[in-house]
Amino acid sequence: MTLPLDAGRTVNVPFRAYRRLALAALRSLTAYPMSFAFSMLASAFSALAMLYLWRAVLSNGRASSGFDWPHMKAYLLVTFVANSLVSAYTDYQMCLRIRQGDIAMDLIRPLDYQRARFAEACGFGLYEAGAGIGAVAVATLIFGGLPAPSLRSFGLFLLSAVFVLPLRFGIVYTSGLVTFWTQNYVGVQAARIALVTFLSGSLVPLAFFPGWLRVIAGAAPFAGMASTPALIFGGQLQGAAALRAVGVQAVWTVALWLLARAFWLRASRQLTVNGG
Amino acid sequence: MRSTLQYEADFWIMSVTAVITQGVGIVFLWAIFRSIPRINGWDFWEIVLVYSLVVLAEGVSQLFAQGVWNLARVVNTGELDPYLIRPYSPVLQVLGSEVGMNGLGNVGLGIALLVGAVIHVQVAWSPARLALLAILVVSGGLVKIGLNLLANSSAFWLKTTWAMVPFSLHTFGELTRFPLTIYSTAIRLVLAVVLPYAFMSFFPATAVLGRGAPQWVGLLTPLAAGYCLLLATWVFRRGLVRYESAGH
Repeated sequence: MTLPLDAGRTVNVPFRAYRRLALAALRSLTAYPMSFAFSMLASAFSALAMLYLWRAVLSNGRASSGFDWPHMKAYLLVTFVANSLVSAYTDYQMCLRIRQGDIAMDLIRPLDYQRARFAEACGFGLYEAGAGIGAVAVATLIFGGLPAPSLRSFGLFLLSAVFVLPLRFGIVYTSGLVTFWTQNYVGVQAARIALVTFLSGSLVPLAFFPGWLRVIAGAAPFAGMASTPALIFGGQLQGAAALRAVGVQAVWTVALWLLARAFWLRASRQLTVNGG
Repeated sequence: MRSTLQYEADFWIMSVTAVITQGVGIVFLWAIFRSIPRINGWDFWEIVLVYSLVVLAEGVSQLFAQGVWNLARVVNTGELDPYLIRPYSPVLQVLGSEVGMNGLGNVGLGIALLVGAVIHVQVAWSPARLALLAILVVSGGLVKIGLNLLANSSAFWLKTTWAMVPFSLHTFGELTRFPLTIYSTAIRLVLAVVLPYAFMSFFPATAVLGRGAPQWVGLLTPLAAGYCLLLATWVFRRGLVRYESAGH
């Protein structure tokens, strides 16, 4: 059965409804804390490898591409928290429901599909950010404290950090919609994670890239997903340059939201629900 | 194998994904080495050698023993029953119950990286040394299969619905993509002795390169592989005694 739907409709639903969705998403994680902790352990181990590797590289007060060990430590830990946001749940549940046909239920609800998923991502994100910051606290016990940012930098950092979740959501949501075409989503997801991790500067700061790649990654939405807030936190990005980077984040946040909506209009027409 | 190949698009997605995921790691190393000549005395191609051995071991274990990752699910749901009725080793049935097609991507990339490393590292290659490398590569794959089975056998005790503990141990094992010497003593000890993931990459590499650790440790790799497989099979059998299927 192909659903002839007006997928682009916007219904006026009270904000309360979306807040409920966010809360339900948050509770679905708090209900299984062990499962969440173990899935987080995976990214924690790879962050651990990065920290040890960079400590070896930058030992004896050496600096490289403008990073000494304390600043690299701060950079890696901020990107770790950024990466834990919108990690897997949003697209995992989307693809499950699309594949099994449960998505039909989501379409019947008088809620905007994209806004509803965003509300859930915020709910997950609250928990993910809390756990991520907890992990960072443990890491500072092992690797020592971080250089404190100036008050100005910190304010700008908070502003920049706000954009991380919607930016990541834009990419995760869009790649989740690919499930309408491919049945196997695991591969798409793994490829997406690898590319975003690399181009957002989470694996290696963009400053280490050759010039052309740095320009591409800086102009693309990826830098705003990890690199920008991390650089502002460490004080490497200041003043007008920092404001410009936050501006790029803001522009991409809106652009990705609109692109995702356009993509949804095409994707939802692909839907075939079994047994209809 | 044939059942997986049926979904040709999926096969390509999984293979390309494996290459992208591991390839990003190599680009990462390349980006670091653009500004730094050595890490703890290891140059770029020496670390690529270590890295390629992890990719190869991962690929081999996916191709021949991917089924072990289903153990948590089949123990939880009771789907293990049919394996026990058949007159064939349950361990081998579990290991072979799935062929991980992304293993092909990993094996291909692993071989490419290994060949690149062999050409570039400062080692006088003799036929004997190449034969040693081949033996160590195969042993490294067996180490990985053994440790995967060991970790997944925890399913008999934990009874979780998905392999969350073995999966985190797997990611822990990925620490051995880099020379062991960068880590703290406690982590080194665990990776070398308790869960000897270092035998799938670091120790074989030191045996071939003749540096980083005493050479004889790397030559123990086949023994380590045998030890991991025997220990894992023993733990699996112990677990099987506890298995009580579903319901009842």
